[in-house]
Amino acid sequence: MQTGVIFSIEEFAVNDGPGIRTTIFLKGCPLRCMWCHNPEGQKAAPQPLTKQGRTEMCGYTIDSEALAARVRKDEDIFRDSGGGVTFTGGEPLVQADFLCEVLDRLEGIHRAIETCGYASEENFKRVLDKVDYVLFDVKIVDSALHKRYTGVENELIKTNLKHLCESGKPFVVRVPLIPGVNDTRENMEATAELLKGAKGLQRVELLRYHKTAGAKYPMVGMEYKPDFDEDAVPEIHDTFTERDIKLLIL
Amino acid sequence: MTPRIETLRSFIRAEKHHQFRRTPEELGLADLNEKFKAEGVPAVERSARMLKALLDAETPIIIEGETIVATRTITYIPSIFTEAEWADIRSKHTLHERGTISNLSPDYEGIIADGLGKRKAAIEARMEDATLTEEQMQFLAAAKASIEAVQAFILKYKACAEKAGLTKVAEVLGAIHSEGAKTLHEALQLLRIVHFALWESDCYHNTLGRFDQYIYPYYKSDIESGRITDEEAFDLITEFFLTCNKDSDLYVGMQQGDNGQSLVLGGRDAEGNCLFNEVSKMCLKASYDLNLIDPKINLRCDSNTPLEIYKLGAELTKRGLGFPQYDNDDVVIPGLMKLGYSEEDAHNYVVAACWEFIIPKNGMEIPNIDALSFAEIVSEAVNHLGDYSTYEEFYAYIVSKINEECKRITSSHDNLYIAPAPFLSTFMGGTIEKAKDISEGGILNNYGVHGTGLSTAADSLAAIKKYYFEEKSIGLEELMDALKNNFVGHEALQDKLRNEAPKMGLDNDEADAIGTALLNSFAEGLKGYRNERGGIWRAGTGTAMYYIFHAKDLPATPDGRNAGEVLPANFTPSMFLKQNGPVSVMRSFAKPDLQNVVNGGPLTIELDESIFRNEETIEKLAMLIRSFIRFGGHQLQLNTLDREKLLDAKAHPELHRNLIVRVWGWSGYFVELDECYQDHIIERIKYKL
Repeated sequence: MQTGVIFSIEEFAVNDGPGIRTTIFLKGCPLRCMWCHNPEGQKAAPQPLTKQGRTEMCGYTIDSEALAARVRKDEDIFRDSGGGVTFTGGEPLVQADFLCEVLDRLEGIHRAIETCGYASEENFKRVLDKVDYVLFDVKIVDSALHKRYTGVENELIKTNLKHLCESGKPFVVRVPLIPGVNDTRENMEATAELLKGAKGLQRVELLRYHKTAGAKYPMVGMEYKPDFDEDAVPEIHDTFTERDIKLLIL
Repeated sequence: MTPRIETLRSFIRAEKHHQFRRTPEELGLADLNEKFKAEGVPAVERSARMLKALLDAETPIIIEGETIVATRTITYIPSIFTEAEWADIRSKHTLHERGTISNLSPDYEGIIADGLGKRKAAIEARMEDATLTEEQMQFLAAAKASIEAVQAFILKYKACAEKAGLTKVAEVLGAIHSEGAKTLHEALQLLRIVHFALWESDCYHNTLGRFDQYIYPYYKSDIESGRITDEEAFDLITEFFLTCNKDSDLYVGMQQGDNGQSLVLGGRDAEGNCLFNEVSKMCLKASYDLNLIDPKINLRCDSNTPLEIYKLGAELTKRGLGFPQYDNDDVVIPGLMKLGYSEEDAHNYVVAACWEFIIPKNGMEIPNIDALSFAEIVSEAVNHLGDYSTYEEFYAYIVSKINEECKRITSSHDNLYIAPAPFLSTFMGGTIEKAKDISEGGILNNYGVHGTGLSTAADSLAAIKKYYFEEKSIGLEELMDALKNNFVGHEALQDKLRNEAPKMGLDNDEADAIGTALLNSFAEGLKGYRNERGGIWRAGTGTAMYYIFHAKDLPATPDGRNAGEVLPANFTPSMFLKQNGPVSVMRSFAKPDLQNVVNGGPLTIELDESIFRNEETIEKLAMLIRSFIRFGGHQLQLNTLDREKLLDAKAHPELHRNLIVRVWGWSGYFVELDECYQDHIIERIKYKL
């Protein structure tokens, strides 16, 4: 049986897909977004986290059966509300084998992932095949800028997004609005272009940057070093509505 | 909100009507009780005479734009007894709280339909009976005089309206002076007057009962006859709600805001029909628009309640007023019937000031007469832990202690004295027939007992069961020493108890089963006892303000709680529980046999305001509340809070005058609360992130 490392389970996660959902946070992420608000999700292994003077391990190993049972516990409420489970992270695709096994065990439940899309095509397709809904992050379209702010180039992400668009699966695209970084008209135009003709696209969500992002860094012994102006009001360019894409600003 | 209501609302929130207020001293009413004493006036007559004197001394004030009138201009209600007389009463009797009647739900339905004249005629007819005792005659005469005083008050307002050229207002007052209401406007005006006069007669925590049910017929007839439009009806209901906020700062309670103006919407009848109607809907909307603390709304639900209704409720929850409170008919109705309530009464339940389930018209119940502290019982029992070799034996000892406490409680409220309330009596069942004041007992005379510190007690027992009896990983001496020294020198143990031990609220069967057992033992412990009025004793899950009192002297407990550390309010997980989330909390607190504890007391969940950034959350919250009802929870209150805002409000109260929070069973303005209550609310959301 596969085991994985998770660092949180959130009940009644209201922003992670339809209905009442439980969101599972898988540990480990290949990206290092400068604005990351879950820094404890970056490292793959469990690590100490100090909160309100108390240190405990953040992240623990769990096998696929136990995790599936934890999710299934709330099957009645998922059924009643048209909800289900969402896997996020970190980046859930980092633990693709574990994730696939858990997803298999949860057949019959509405399953979603939230992903940055940075994974091998094979893993992406494998997981895509097993889920009912995808929340896909598109941070920056320009690859060089993407590398500067997230640590990786985005060719793979674009390829996987293309697979997603072609799959017909219902999905949502999420763009974190980072003031002065990606909130330009140019980037929004480019984002909208990537989504042209995607049948499954439900809407685009622009997530306003929150200053609280830095709060958790000291808890895991890290330093928050944004090089953008945290207090600036992000620009909002709606390049989506004109292309018949529903837009939601959160 | 129409501009008219908006202007009225601003006027009232700016307290401009306070300028008309006079003290009883200024009005020469402060020493009326001394006169009564000198003259040897019987208590019931005093009550009627005091009411008349106060109503006569009221200056009629019609605020510009008002169409539902009556504004209090007397700052406080002088007692019918002198201080010395109260001291004497206290030496001979037990008293409940202030010694006057509170927490009842009068027969508004009947009074609005019948009118004051018909009630008066019924009293007069009853007075014809030559076999009546002198006391009975005194009561009937006082009841009649009270009604006449209220009628004179109506005429005084009518004259004032006429003088001001307010024809419509005068017309409505004229119509309800003696007759029952025929239109929505008349019904609301009569209700306002009666409710106003109840406060004036020194009754408190005067609830509003099933407002949507007794108001609906007037709404329906007005709409059907084309007398008014839906917009006009909504405007009137909104204005009525606004009137509940005019004088409420003068209403007595434990804290500002704790005034008992709760009303109940929806519910089902004995045939299972959903009674939520157009008026219910308007009430939720009016409350949303007004954004004020009164009236406090309860929504009766059951497993068949349509999602649309929950959505209307959730919309109001988002507003952050701390209501509606959701009550589950599937639990409460059968629970009440198990206790012996008739099918009709059980289906007609409403809530008292906070959450206690009471019956309109027929109930002269005292649902908050005392409180049993589970936490104290367990804390005390732990001193004898060494005498027991199994958890079952130890729990049996706990049961014996619960039984002892139930026995003590049920025997410490005898010889109760309640000041007479002849005006209120005319709206309560059976009083005129029996020619007996409601303060001496009504049709239902049950008492209710709160149960406080349940999760602290259950978590403590869960830790003892697991670590002491089963795993044997904590020794007796170690535990005793840790508790005695408030965990100083036992930090690792405390950390384990606080953060790793099984607890209620995590959907953990071990801990939840103990919570269930404690509640069952409590209900069982009260069974069989009768109070001196012939009523039963009901067990409940509320705490009222006892969560503050009971915590103060409570030593460190085996759940890892420090000495003096706060207890949770009502039926709620431990304050320092690291929650899995609201679903687990709801499951845990729906597991007990809640039909056994229908004195009431809600599960309270704090929601972070930020979840409502997404409009879709309303529907999700509606579904979550529906799940709670379907899980079999009995009562739920939701508080939408923003911790940063609360901290700022504490530091800069002047900037947050309108910030509203749910305290223990009512909503009030945060900045008007005593600091201990403010801190408790801030503490409740500390562990959420």
